[in-house]
Amino acid sequence: MTFDWSVVWQHRAELVSATGTTILLTVATMLIAVPCGMVVAALRLYAWAPVRAAATVYVELFRNVPLILVVFWAFYVLPIWSGLGLSPLATGLAALALNVTAYNAETFRAGLNSIRRGQVEAAMALGMSRTQALRRVIIPQALRRVLPVLANTWVSLFKDTSLVSVIAVTELAYVAMQIRAQSFRVLEMLTAMAAIYWLLGYPQAKLVDWIQRRYAVTE
Amino acid sequence: MDYDFSVITDHWQFLAYGVGVTLTLAAFSGVTSIVVGFVAALARLYGPRWLKPLVILYIDSMRAIPVLVVLVWAFFALPIVAGITMPPFWAALMGLTIHLAAYAAEIFRAGIESVRPGQTRAALALGMSHAQIVRRIVLPQAVVRMLPAFGSLLSVTIKDTAIASVIAVPEFMRQSETVQGQTFQPIEVYTFAMLVYFVILFPITRGVDMFYRRVAHLGRS
Repeated sequence: MTFDWSVVWQHRAELVSATGTTILLTVATMLIAVPCGMVVAALRLYAWAPVRAAATVYVELFRNVPLILVVFWAFYVLPIWSGLGLSPLATGLAALALNVTAYNAETFRAGLNSIRRGQVEAAMALGMSRTQALRRVIIPQALRRVLPVLANTWVSLFKDTSLVSVIAVTELAYVAMQIRAQSFRVLEMLTAMAAIYWLLGYPQAKLVDWIQRRYAVTE
Repeated sequence: MDYDFSVITDHWQFLAYGVGVTLTLAAFSGVTSIVVGFVAALARLYGPRWLKPLVILYIDSMRAIPVLVVLVWAFFALPIVAGITMPPFWAALMGLTIHLAAYAAEIFRAGIESVRPGQTRAALALGMSHAQIVRRIVLPQAVVRMLPAFGSLLSVTIKDTAIASVIAVPEFMRQSETVQGQTFQPIEVYTFAMLVYFVILFPITRGVDMFYRRVAHLGRS
């Protein structure tokens, strides 16, 4: 067996830009999915009953379907439904956002529900309105509990961006596998791909551990 | 827009076979990950000192590398290094096990660590050995507390088998792609596939939740 690792260095420019796309996808998805998740969670908790049911169906559906299928589905269905010619990147972003929004909505809902009801009652007994109690008492506490879960979702999302490679988004997994196909340096490229993911993902996983220790719930 | 769902009924045997492979792969990799994960957790908690950093490195690496990358590596790169060629199904089983066992190990560890150390000390004071304590005191409580986490791990396992379609395992996702490629009816095929996965996964997640609520009191201390 002879290995030729120079192939990795030769394609460094492509790999770097692909890594950039992976990071961009992660950040952009989270930027969409956090506010949208809050809205969906609020709809599930406080909206008019039919809207509440629709939000529940959305959350449960996307939490119980493999992401790779959502990616394919979005690739074929979104252009037809929206009538737009979406780029693979936009389609991948939409699929990731649909998926992560559902998870975040559940996270926020669980966070709000985790604050004991007595606290709202106490706040209202002190003369606060329901909105005031929510804003001043519930949400500040819920945020602390939600943060570690969001951090976890972040790392999962970072890894899941590799799945949009199946619709030819030029992120790390897709580009590395393209170079593999062109150069036939299978082991070198696949190992380089794993190494890049590891170098980026390992510190994130450690950071999540730290956040979880820092914000551990103690009652 | 007209939708023609007869494409599903025309290919139902082909798709049903895929569902069978999905469930088989999920069941196999579920069992192997739990076994490997349990061993890894024991090694991390009670193993010799030199072993612990290695186990931690393995677990955290799997938390950092996408399962797609592990599967592709196991299927395409491993034969080059090890000289053994595996059929897609076994490569997928191996890749999924390597990946999911790390998560299983974390669940075992969290469950075991959730049992207060005072109980271990009390058991030691009563003259029990370490192995006895783990078996009689710690695990019976920890197992119940781990249930919700293992429920979601099972759901993750089934969802991750869909990624094995990338290495041509003829599971449900792959079969759907094939039907789509022959009929050019992606909306019908993929919408149906979403419903099938939902019908498989939703009762499992709900079922585990309900079962846990029944037995949760057994894990309290």
